[in-house]
Amino acid sequence: METSRDDLGIAIRSAFLKKGTQQKFSLFALIIISVIFIFAESIKVKPIDYVRSAIRDLIYHSSQVISYPAKTIKGISNFVSNHIQVYDSYKVLKKENEYLKNNLLKNDYLEVENEQLKKLVDERLKTYENLVTARIMIDKQSLYLNSFIINAGSNKKIKKGMAVLDRKNFIGRIVDVNFFSSRVLLITDLNSKIPVIIEPSGDQAILSGHGNDPLSLDYLPKDQKIQDGNSVYTSGKEGLFSPGIPIGAVFNKSNQFYVSSFSDLNQVLFVNINIGETENK
Amino acid sequence: MPFFPNKNKIRILNYIPLLILFFISLNGNSIIDFNYFSINVHYILVYYWVLRNPKLLGYGFIFLSGVISDVIFGTPMGVTALSLLVVASVAAYVRVVTVRISLINDWISFLPALLLANFFYFIALYFSNLPIDYIYLIKNSFFTFTFYPILWSIFSLFLNFIKL
Repeated sequence: METSRDDLGIAIRSAFLKKGTQQKFSLFALIIISVIFIFAESIKVKPIDYVRSAIRDLIYHSSQVISYPAKTIKGISNFVSNHIQVYDSYKVLKKENEYLKNNLLKNDYLEVENEQLKKLVDERLKTYENLVTARIMIDKQSLYLNSFIINAGSNKKIKKGMAVLDRKNFIGRIVDVNFFSSRVLLITDLNSKIPVIIEPSGDQAILSGHGNDPLSLDYLPKDQKIQDGNSVYTSGKEGLFSPGIPIGAVFNKSNQFYVSSFSDLNQVLFVNINIGETENK
Repeated sequence: MPFFPNKNKIRILNYIPLLILFFISLNGNSIIDFNYFSINVHYILVYYWVLRNPKLLGYGFIFLSGVISDVIFGTPMGVTALSLLVVASVAAYVRVVTVRISLINDWISFLPALLLANFFYFIALYFSNLPIDYIYLIKNSFFTFTFYPILWSIFSLFLNFIKL
């Protein structure tokens, strides 16, 4: 019995503590370093943050170079499939164009009326003049985070919590800022909870991400009057983001309301970050 | 006369597992994710090479590739490194206590490695306040275990080739 215990001890010592042939570190030492790294993540001290940012920037830029061939192949495949589908797209666009032409006059009228009403109530008009455009460096989705890495960081005055837009549509927020890169948490992520308003009913809700599943509308009022096709905008509640940024359209599935984003998150190459609003009277 | 002098050929090919290790971490392909299944290639690669030929895959490099994966995927730095080192630890232990090399032995001993690594991964993420998709984690572990023999065969062919 004692001999077998000795054997086990020897085997464990040999596997964990000894540096194997041509190994510079023992497994035990590296496991301890990993645990220290994990605990260091929760320490928010400036020098450590600087080192962390520098490491992240270095890895993101190396990853961008390494993933360039894969991106090129993906780009070529998209290009070919777009060409194959060109006739179908043409038919859809033709129909859409006719529909939009019919609605153009109506929209012009509503826009003028809206401007007049805004002047009437003396609302401070907000414009998105302070937009910073950034390119997506890495768009690998992990088990736990649906996120993008963009090539703008504190060097472009980006801060945590800022809204990220695809053209004018809201797609996520900044959760991590380095010197030359930042991480964008997408609306589809499990952590994403955005206060929204649904128009024209005016109902307010929380838009929750569910990974690959559609976005859901939670905490809706009981007497809500939402219908399929209604638009969802940021409500600006809690002062997180500006109000009125378009997000998506509502659809109903088994008596639960979901939202399909106006932007196809798989096709986004550049994003705009709203780094602060300018206010005009 | 052979095209490559034998020594040089082996010297270059010896770096292939290391290159794959860093390629998959930097390219974000450590978990191959399809619609219905996902495989953790990182675990299989580390387990196989630490078990069969640890000279070709240093522990320090395994740690480094884990840190890279963490940065790319946005998980706290050290989490993937820890789980990879756990896989490497089980492989190192199995290497010490086993004599015969066979797929069945390797495959069965891969199961505790996988369970232990996922356990540490889960614990580390639990304290990092990240939401955990348990179904995904179980699915990923199941398919990683299932696909182990395929990658084992490929790596064994390669190992035999560089031993020639």
